[in-house]
Amino acid sequence: MTLPVSIIMIEDDEGHARLIERNIRRSGVNNEIISFANGTDAINHLFGPDGTGLVQKGNALLILLDLNLPDMTGIDILKQIKENKYLKASPVVVLTTTDDSQEIKRCYELGCNVYITKPVNYENFANAIRQLGLFFSVIQVPPAAS
Amino acid sequence: MTADAQRRRTVIQILLLSAGFFVLVAISVASVLLVNKSREDNSWVVHSVEAENQISTVLLEVRRAESAVRAYLLSGGPQFLTEYQAAAANVLPGIDHLARLTGDNPAQVQNIAKLRKAAEQRLSEFARGAERVKNNDVSGAVAALRNGSSTGAVETIASVGRDMRNEEDRLFRDRTETADRTQKLASSVTIAGSGMVLALAFGSILLVRQSSRARDRAEIRLRDANLNLEATVDERTADLREANAEIQRFAYIVSHDLRSPLVNIMGFTSELEELNSDIFRRIGGLTQAASGGPPPAAGEIVLEGSDKQLADDFSEALGFIKSSIARMDRLISAILNLTREGRREFQPEQIETRDFVEGIVSSLAHQAAEAQAEIHIEPLPNIVSDRLALEQIFSNLIDNGIKYLKNGVPGEIRIRGRTKLGYAIFEISDNGRGIDPKDHQRIFDLFRRAGTQDKPGQGIGLAHVRALVRRLGGTMSVSSELNAGSTFTVTLPITWNASNRNSDQ
Repeated sequence: MTLPVSIIMIEDDEGHARLIERNIRRSGVNNEIISFANGTDAINHLFGPDGTGLVQKGNALLILLDLNLPDMTGIDILKQIKENKYLKASPVVVLTTTDDSQEIKRCYELGCNVYITKPVNYENFANAIRQLGLFFSVIQVPPAAS
Repeated sequence: MTADAQRRRTVIQILLLSAGFFVLVAISVASVLLVNKSREDNSWVVHSVEAENQISTVLLEVRRAESAVRAYLLSGGPQFLTEYQAAAANVLPGIDHLARLTGDNPAQVQNIAKLRKAAEQRLSEFARGAERVKNNDVSGAVAALRNGSSTGAVETIASVGRDMRNEEDRLFRDRTETADRTQKLASSVTIAGSGMVLALAFGSILLVRQSSRARDRAEIRLRDANLNLEATVDERTADLREANAEIQRFAYIVSHDLRSPLVNIMGFTSELEELNSDIFRRIGGLTQAASGGPPPAAGEIVLEGSDKQLADDFSEALGFIKSSIARMDRLISAILNLTREGRREFQPEQIETRDFVEGIVSSLAHQAAEAQAEIHIEPLPNIVSDRLALEQIFSNLIDNGIKYLKNGVPGEIRIRGRTKLGYAIFEISDNGRGIDPKDHQRIFDLFRRAGTQDKPGQGIGLAHVRALVRRLGGTMSVSSELNAGSTFTVTLPITWNASNRNSDQ
């Protein structure tokens, strides 16, 4: 990873966040991981105090998004990200327990780049996250549009 | 309108009708009686006229006899004698006739007696006079007649005649009056009766109109009630649908949210497992070091005694936790699948049921052969329904039949079908181990099973099948005895109507 890509993790379940982080690290990804436990904080961070997203201008972001959040749905966040001119190019990985095909379709329609269902089976879960880590280490992330 | 008011109205109607009938009968009877009375009165009037007429006739005959005798006296012509004789012969029968006519009136009877006496006297004078003329004693005859006139017979006849006529006149007047009264009475009775009949008819018409209005009102109310009922049914159906959707959402959300902590439990348990080997390797090393042995070489720690016991207990606990999590995951997945099934839209299509079931059976042929079971398919009615749902229903039931056979008894599974009143009835029967009647309800509950638990399964199949059958607008039931095989009966509408259940969501 040569690019200073920040991984924004929006995940309300601390356990999940910890497991995800651990497994990403295990796959050798050392990028900064900023985690948020609720949607509001994440939105504030992503779009800044003025809500325009200008604060992220020039930053390379990779967003890991859970759909079930206590204060809003991940779909709303996804929509806002993909409608924002600074953030829309940042890859969004939806990582959630929902495996409803309607939901998956909806996310892709809104512009999500990858949709992963969290497997309950830990082997599979760890595997998926590690592969995601590998994926992170090879993909090119554009800086937020200027 | 209350039943009471209705009964009252009916009673009034009957009373009115019977009153009308009685009035009509009374009028008829009164009319007949009055007409008879009036005829009688008229006959009495005629009678009076006849009596008067007879009085005149008698008096006339007396006068005729007198004139004829006088003429005979003057001229002596024999034709006058003949005339006198004819007239005199009529007088007494005339009086007799008069007596018969007026025999009912004592005053007239007296008068007649007087009249008869006077007439007889007068007639005898005439006879004497005529006799004298015959003997050419004309002057004697004249004298006799003159004598006779002076005796008062003539006056008597005249006065009696007058009296009688007066009496008859009086009677005539009375009787005419009576007849008039009777006729007036008859006409007033008829008029009054007609008036009453008209009034009753009017009352009846009013009542009929009133009850027809009441009926119209009742009809309107009935129609309103029907509309209300339909609205209520629609409302309730909507409520039920909403409740059902709510339950589906609830089940979905709950099972979904249960999964999140489960991921953690499973994840950290696995982490613990990873740590497990590290921890016990270290403990083993420490134990070895403490007992003064050589420092442990990596990867070749052998636990002994209580350490080994601890490590085994630890692994066992982790094993139970993991298997329980796996089981819980399967249950949650089952609920998720059920709710997802509940949300799936059905696509009705024409299904050649026998070919369709044969297809299912052939896909289960391997299991059937292993269980030494034979499957017989009898002719089945074709239906229009959702293919996928139907496939799940039949394959679950047939699979159960194969699965729960009696040990050592070759299985025989039979699939029958018939139609009844727009429904197709399918029966899947086996000669397997059967189900205790006390478990018949239980087996359809989610995660519940019955009998010897020697086969793998989650207790989902029948719950799923029943949910599908219900969504397809059908019913299902089981009849079975322990060790005597089971028959599952599925009743489905021959043509599934997309509007009846699909809108559950």
